[in-house]
Amino acid sequence: MKEKIKLAFAQISSKRENKKENLQKIEECIIKAKEQAADLVIFPELSLTGYVVRDQIYELAETIPGSATKKIEGIARKTGMHVIFGMPELSEKTKATIFNTAVFIGPKGFIGKYRKMYLPTHSVFEEKRYFRPGYQTVAFNTALGNIGLCICYDLFFPEVCRLTRLKGAQLIVSISASPSVRRSFFEILTAARALENTAFLAYVNLVGVEEGLQFWGGSRLVSPTGDVLAKAKYDEEDFVTCEVDYNDIRPTETFIPTLRDLRPELFDELKKYSELL
Amino acid sequence: MKLTPSVLELDLSEIEKRIRRFIKKYVENSGADGIVLGLSGGIDSSTTAALSSLSIGGDQVLGLMLPEKETYNPKDIDDAKLVAEKFGLKTQICDITPVLENFYKTIPIFDQADKLCKGNIKARTRMIYIYYYANKLNRIVCGSSDKSETMMGYFTKWGDVAADISPIMDLYKTQARKLAAHLGLPAELAAKPSTPALWPNQLAETELGIKYETLDLILYGLERFMTTEEIALQLNIENTLVKKVKNRWLSAEHKRRMLLTAKLEYRTIGTDFRLPQNAY
Repeated sequence: MKEKIKLAFAQISSKRENKKENLQKIEECIIKAKEQAADLVIFPELSLTGYVVRDQIYELAETIPGSATKKIEGIARKTGMHVIFGMPELSEKTKATIFNTAVFIGPKGFIGKYRKMYLPTHSVFEEKRYFRPGYQTVAFNTALGNIGLCICYDLFFPEVCRLTRLKGAQLIVSISASPSVRRSFFEILTAARALENTAFLAYVNLVGVEEGLQFWGGSRLVSPTGDVLAKAKYDEEDFVTCEVDYNDIRPTETFIPTLRDLRPELFDELKKYSELL
Repeated sequence: MKLTPSVLELDLSEIEKRIRRFIKKYVENSGADGIVLGLSGGIDSSTTAALSSLSIGGDQVLGLMLPEKETYNPKDIDDAKLVAEKFGLKTQICDITPVLENFYKTIPIFDQADKLCKGNIKARTRMIYIYYYANKLNRIVCGSSDKSETMMGYFTKWGDVAADISPIMDLYKTQARKLAAHLGLPAELAAKPSTPALWPNQLAETELGIKYETLDLILYGLERFMTTEEIALQLNIENTLVKKVKNRWLSAEHKRRMLLTAKLEYRTIGTDFRLPQNAY
């Protein structure tokens, strides 16, 4: 496993409902990441289709494996790149239910996927109308280290990142489609999730205007001490590379031993009281 | 939450940027050749005209001045021209008086004394002119309704609020005034009393029975689910006034939504037919 890896944040706007054009853009970004010697390129939530697609999601969702993942697997194989991107996933089993999914693909093919657990259905968001929530957190042991995945609103619930960390994740990747009015929340939460877990956190957000929503970008790499090590532009498409040095985790965990001090019995309390809300 | 004027303060540079991106993107995606809007010389339409010009360039923005003899005010025309000059948009004046008079003459039940019904004809006639230009020039119609008036239902259904986009509809009147000043509109214009110009000497605040400074704070509280009692207490006003505002806001929902139909089939327009807009 590498001790240092180079990430590329492909902070793109997606053409809504146009998977062909989005796949083309994804391919261009993967090639660009390769040219800049990155190991892993990360795209925003639902970058395959755009975020505000409403009922069209039923036409756009694909199974995994499916044509979009096969296409990206081919590009990853050809370029030797690792790729994380977001798409609406049609359940292979039921062919009826849809998930908001982050897909992780490597040079040797499909590594794994994460189905968003917390689906915002308030304010302008209507995800529960369309998606079934996921039920499992994930952390994948890869040639690039142990990498956990989460999606956007999951960041509001510390247990998702915590579980990926407890499963071994050293780098937590959060792909997102966060609109401007919520920027300040995410700027706080990304730092908090990294710090409380003494892990790196890579946050990659969508940009562009979809109906009245404007996605704010601001993708970033946060260190285990909560510092922003690299940041993409606000509101505009951007492409940023940055380095993760896993050696930074151990001294942080010594200085802020949040994992050593974890109290498992509180999680039983948490379960009990969250059922009594 | 404390209901003080500071809650209505905004990062105006950020708001300007967001609105400009919104307008630009919508025009691009729609494939239109620009924007047409009604330019009354009032604060909302002047602000919207300025934002439109800043977003896509004044050459692509046409401000229509649509005076009629009963509410004609040369100051409004001067103000509209001043805005057009400052932000480089094109203008056209069309006197709608003859059309209105023909409406009055040809409606058998027309009642000259009914100011509201008559005034609504004016707002809807202006809409027809604006949409004619938009159709003819392959442009979109940009509305200039603000949040205060839209929440209060203080507009003519299918009239002044009819548009393809309404970029300042999420700003209360007092916020729109501040944005106007931020954009460089003359202070005198930014402070000008609002009027829908449906009849002579019509003033929005007189008709609504409340100053916008107070109304906006009441609406802000209602937007955030505060009770009328709490709002009245904080603003040191009568609860009956707050309740009146709340009732007016709720009862005007029919003016703000897609028309209702009876649910009969699988997917129904306006309810569970949920399609993306302006994606192509």
